[in-house]
Amino acid sequence: MPKSKSDKLSGSVMVVGGGIAGMQSALDLAESGYYVYLLEKSSAIGGVMSQLDKTFPTNDCAM
Amino acid sequence: MLQKPRYIDLNKCTACGECAEVCPVELDNEYDVGLSNRKAAFKLYAQAIPGAYAIQKTDRAPCSLACPAGLNVQGYVQMVGQGKYEDALKIIMEDLPLPGVLGRICPHGCEDACRRCEVDNPVAIRDLKRLAADQFDPRKIKIECLPPREEKVAIVGSGPAGLSAAYHLARKGILSTIFEALPEAGGMLRVGIPDHRLPREILDREIEIITNLGVEIKVNTPLGPQLTVDDLFKEGHKAVYLAVGAHRGIELGIPGEGAGGVRQGVDFLKELNLSGKTPVGKKVGIIGGGNVAIDVSRSAVRLGAEEVSIIYRRSRAEMPAWEDEIQAAEAEGVKITYLAAPQEVLTQDGKVVGIRCIRMKLGETDSSGRRRPIPIPGSEYDIEIDQLVPAIGQRPDLSAIEDVEGLAFSRWGTADVDPVTYATNREAVFAGGDLQTGPWVAIGAIAAGREAAESIARFLDGRDMAEGREPVTPENPVYRPIPEDNAGKAREKMPELPLKDRKGNFKEVELGYDEDTGKEEAHRCLNCGYCCECFQCVEACIAEAVIHNQKPVEREIEVGSAILCLGTHVFDPAPYEDLYHHESYPNVLTSMEFERFLSATGPTSGHLVRPSDKKEPKRIAWIQCVGSRDTAHCSNDYCSSVCCMYAIKEALIAKEHTGGDFTGTIFNMDIRSHGKGFERYYERAKSEGIRFIRSRVHSITEADDNGTLKIGYVEESGEIYEEEFDIVVLSVGMEPDPSAVELSRKLGVDLNKNNFVNTDDFSPVMTSRPGIYVAGVLQGTKDIPQSVTEASAAACASSVSLAQSRGESTKEKVFPEEKDISGEEPRVGVFVCNCGNNIGGFADVPGIAEYAKTLPNVVNVDENLFTCSQDTQEKIVEVIKEHKLNRIVVAACTPTTHEALFRETLRNAGLNENLFEMANIRNQCTWVHSHNKEEATEKAKDLVRMAVAKSSFLEPISDLMVDIEKSGLIIGGGVAGMTAALSLADQGFPATIVERSDTLGGAARDIKKTWRGNDVHEYLSGLIDRIEQHPIVEVLLNADVTGSSGFVGNFETDILTGGKTRTIKHGVCIIATGANASSPDEYLYGKNPRVTRWHDLEQEPNRIKDARTVVFILCVGSRDDKRPYCSRVCCTSSIGQAVNFKEQNPEINVFILYRDIRTYGEKEALYQEARDMGIIFVRYTIDKKPIVTESDEGLDIRVFDPVLQRELLIKADLLNLATAIEPTGHEDIAGYFKIPIDDDKFFIEAHAKLRPVDFANDGLFVCGMAHYPKPIDESIVQAMAAASKAAIILSQPCIKVSPLVSQVDTEKCIGCGLCAEVCNFVAIIMEEIEGKGFRAKNVPASCKGCGLCASSCPQGAIDMLHFRDRQLLAAVSAVR
Amino acid sequence: MEKFEPKILAFLCNWCAYAAADLAGVSRFQYPSNVKPLRVMCSARVDPLYIIKALKAGWDGILVSG
Repeated sequence: MPKSKSDKLSGSVMVVGGGIAGMQSALDLAESGYYVYLLEKSSAIGGVMSQLDKTFPTNDCAM
Repeated sequence: MLQKPRYIDLNKCTACGECAEVCPVELDNEYDVGLSNRKAAFKLYAQAIPGAYAIQKTDRAPCSLACPAGLNVQGYVQMVGQGKYEDALKIIMEDLPLPGVLGRICPHGCEDACRRCEVDNPVAIRDLKRLAADQFDPRKIKIECLPPREEKVAIVGSGPAGLSAAYHLARKGILSTIFEALPEAGGMLRVGIPDHRLPREILDREIEIITNLGVEIKVNTPLGPQLTVDDLFKEGHKAVYLAVGAHRGIELGIPGEGAGGVRQGVDFLKELNLSGKTPVGKKVGIIGGGNVAIDVSRSAVRLGAEEVSIIYRRSRAEMPAWEDEIQAAEAEGVKITYLAAPQEVLTQDGKVVGIRCIRMKLGETDSSGRRRPIPIPGSEYDIEIDQLVPAIGQRPDLSAIEDVEGLAFSRWGTADVDPVTYATNREAVFAGGDLQTGPWVAIGAIAAGREAAESIARFLDGRDMAEGREPVTPENPVYRPIPEDNAGKAREKMPELPLKDRKGNFKEVELGYDEDTGKEEAHRCLNCGYCCECFQCVEACIAEAVIHNQKPVEREIEVGSAILCLGTHVFDPAPYEDLYHHESYPNVLTSMEFERFLSATGPTSGHLVRPSDKKEPKRIAWIQCVGSRDTAHCSNDYCSSVCCMYAIKEALIAKEHTGGDFTGTIFNMDIRSHGKGFERYYERAKSEGIRFIRSRVHSITEADDNGTLKIGYVEESGEIYEEEFDIVVLSVGMEPDPSAVELSRKLGVDLNKNNFVNTDDFSPVMTSRPGIYVAGVLQGTKDIPQSVTEASAAACASSVSLAQSRGESTKEKVFPEEKDISGEEPRVGVFVCNCGNNIGGFADVPGIAEYAKTLPNVVNVDENLFTCSQDTQEKIVEVIKEHKLNRIVVAACTPTTHEALFRETLRNAGLNENLFEMANIRNQCTWVHSHNKEEATEKAKDLVRMAVAKSSFLEPISDLMVDIEKSGLIIGGGVAGMTAALSLADQGFPATIVERSDTLGGAARDIKKTWRGNDVHEYLSGLIDRIEQHPIVEVLLNADVTGSSGFVGNFETDILTGGKTRTIKHGVCIIATGANASSPDEYLYGKNPRVTRWHDLEQEPNRIKDARTVVFILCVGSRDDKRPYCSRVCCTSSIGQAVNFKEQNPEINVFILYRDIRTYGEKEALYQEARDMGIIFVRYTIDKKPIVTESDEGLDIRVFDPVLQRELLIKADLLNLATAIEPTGHEDIAGYFKIPIDDDKFFIEAHAKLRPVDFANDGLFVCGMAHYPKPIDESIVQAMAAASKAAIILSQPCIKVSPLVSQVDTEKCIGCGLCAEVCNFVAIIMEEIEGKGFRAKNVPASCKGCGLCASSCPQGAIDMLHFRDRQLLAAVSAVR
Repeated sequence: MEKFEPKILAFLCNWCAYAAADLAGVSRFQYPSNVKPLRVMCSARVDPLYIIKALKAGWDGILVSG
């Protein structure tokens, strides 16, 4: 397990990718007491899901 | 970690879009898969988070890098393209003070570097520069100069270097005097270039630009004995810049050169340009191949020479003069002789009468990179001329400076200087231009002058002259890829003076582009660097958010773990081009393109049209498995898992869009609707007329000129059909993104053969590298709920590994103590926002503010440019204190994005955050009424009035805190339940498992192997061991839940175990009650011992060994009227067993009778393997089910084969049935916790996509097969996800509940119970009060604040905090 | 006679209709200005009495969207 310089386990997590999965991981971790670095290569999070119109099987708006 | 610059300050950007409005650079909008355009300044999509713009920029364009002066070429080309000539000139004149001059005579190295050369011809950059200077007088450009300083500088020479130095010095506040030897300023620009190329008025005009800044030019003042460099210093100049150019022609060095009639080219041109005339012969011979030779020749023609010939010793290919010039000279009658060199000037009476030449041939390449000319012996010949003009080169005339102390010169007679600072060895003396380089291009001298100016300024300041000036050229510059659709737009031709009009005059030949041609030409620019740095956005942005010089930031961050969620990219159908013609047929779309056409934010705003003719399509076909399940066109042997469903969805939505007479047709191999609710969706599509045709499409052709498409296909039965469609959608699959693959490898994470991250069935989010987890489609193709579940599971795994450091890296904000306002009269403060121009530009903000002052209770009104800016927050805090405000109204954008910010500001001012109200006068006012300022203003007043009215009734509301019982109850002891319990316990939260049976393990006990072949029994016993040994996991076997009460954080559940009821307190509950294989009453099950079910057969290896033929029937009891869902696991499980049987006994015949094979994801490879092994797959339909009868030898199974179109009789020894998976009877649990179950008796999660393990009621979660049938790996993922969600609650010190909840007035309540009945969240309960019967009681922790109870209450006994009747009615009554 | 311009009050659900009205703004869709939005946390909050009171107060039309 990576140790920080102070030899203490870090309370931070890096999430790479800001699509639906990355956002969900980041939210879960942040809400349960970890500092999250969410890395996204484009200028906004959302990923492929944000491009979709509706989602099956409920036809809810993807946005 | 490298953070790329956004070039826009996130904290300042208000997302108004002005930057994009003015941005000239049009690019493909990748969000719309290239179906629409966006600007280089852009917001990824309308609802993007962060809601801010960004600028796309890469390395500077190659044109700019090729320019010696580094002009921002792309920038001014774009400005010319927009007709913004003044802005174009501003960009040019950052570096170059002579736009019209260089716009004519610059040799434009930029055009050689132009990437348009790779398409056709370079952009006519130089001509566009000239157009800018033609259209707008550069003298009118306002040149920003620093305040003038006292020091004066002397510049010797008024050519491009001297003028540039003077110009750039003046901008730095340093004024100079230019000493010019000749009677007119301009240097070589004046005397070296004839008027037909550069009219003198143009030069005069642009020299004025420099003299207008206060620069003095002294003509006829050569450096020499009467004026030395020392004299210049004595006169008080603090620095001297030498830029005397290279005006001395180089002699031919042949006999007779001193004869009359021999004239150096530079001298010929000098006299011509200064006096307007010069002696010219009848027959003129010119030696040389550069622009001077051409200029002399064309001038000689104009001056009346009868025969003008150029003699050049190499061939045309090596000629340094510009091709255009050579052509023009030839057109004007100049004769050019190649491969000839002069040997002797023939004279008579001291005058030239001819020249002796020798023919040459080309030899080896020399140091200049050109082939060396070699004389051909004996090939001498004479030509008759009466004037000879050598034009083979120039060098500086050093006579006036060669003795200057401290100056050094090279062996070519040029000045030696520091290559970066242009300083000579003598302090305060600088040199540049042709004097330093020898004859070179004017733009090089311009650059040299600019650099010298920088050095001189630093020298005068006493700063380091060289620091930070080393030239940096990017090693591997990154440019915008050349767009494919840009070819064929040829370079615009430069209009010219007709040949007949050129004789006898020096009128300018090139006439310049007109505006329209110029714009067309500018639009050929490929915008290599994306952003062109025209800085239009900087001017447009009132918030000053644009930061063009932002640099990438390299950061090192310390993390305890990492989660890779890199996604995949959509398959590019290029390999199918020959078959499906996606590139060439406009109406063949990918599914993502079609998705964008359906979307309201898409290229057609959601209007579905056929791309070729914009007509509404009526017939749309989908072709499935493009880039999936295909190793012929690509190497993707896996199923993409989502395409069947999205195709059905797109068909249904398209039908909604187009209405009645729509036909959607889906060509498929199998329909894979294996997810929860998917089978019903598929059935619904069929009932709505969507056609499903089981076929591979073999061809698509265009049937008419409108782009109608004809599909040719073969049905299962072998019959061939053709059918026409308006649009064909290719259902493209998913592939790992190359960049994700690269990054995963870099991080040391193992990938499988398909480049998905390698994981194990029992630890599906764990990568090969400890501490790095994976979620989403990078792990394998899957749909959104599965991705979301995995994401939570990865968070759980990460959290388990870091549990001891939870809370170590996060910080809590501290606010000042809250002021008590009880008893105070309302004192409302209103802040009206201009939002830059967004509100102020479309409504009368001062008018709104004035109006607000007249409203009741308003004591202070402020206007802000940007109410959301950081300094305004500080100001608001001050204003609140100063005016003792106790209610705040901000009239600005929308509470959706900004309410939280202002609420925090209130807290910083010591006010309760609920004393705040927003009036949405931007999104819902100025932006939607931008064409009518008066109406927008009036509506804004109305909105402010309503907000103020409501605000006066606002009251402070305290945060609601609820204590938490920090433990979890898990109902069900199968794999899911055990995994969930361990995931909680490993984070330090005690867990109790309640299992109805007498043993742990659940349905997994029957399974031998996972589809990848991992041993389930071994895994299970390890898991049970861990559970039993875990210090904070308690297991209750033979235990039943008999009741439950409470709410999130505080549940109390009764468990009946060992005949006693025990009440367990717990903060969360995870429901994992599982599911079982059903027992059918068909196919002789239970009647004949040869008929078995699921894993029964696997358990008896001897029977397999002896069997000759084994048959599997799939979908037994699934996907029928009784259970209209797919059991998801049966196809894979049956095929896995069949493969095992075949491996054990290759002689065995295995038949699998199926309806659709649903080996989704990489399980598809197993299906392929089975087929390759010779396992026989026969499809049946629900109306023609197989018929099983007993026979003497065993079983007779009859099934109709749709391929052979006849009935098969299979004589089988054994028949194994994949019966439906049905949920364990858990209706009682649903009742105790008031959680919903669907028609199939599975639990219903809060949201099918985004909250797949949550219930709508807080604190309750679901996982495993209680949710839906699923394989072990998916159960494990879901259990971890449920634990992740549960841990979010358990990790809080206490639960902070939104205080905007219902409030019951028990005095008014009559206990009718209507509120409790309508509440969807169990947030109102009926409580018995002694003597009064039942009364409603709200449960704030469960309340969502919807207010349904309040509006349902017949007594008016319920009110909603912050949305009270009196608050809302105050707003309602504030009508004008 | 002057053209009748009804005054319309729109109760918008915070989670959908209000967000949609915001998005209409982002997209710069233009619509008549006589509709005045009022945010509620759910269209279920709209008590029928509100509608009566709104009409009495002088609104000509009520839109409940959620």
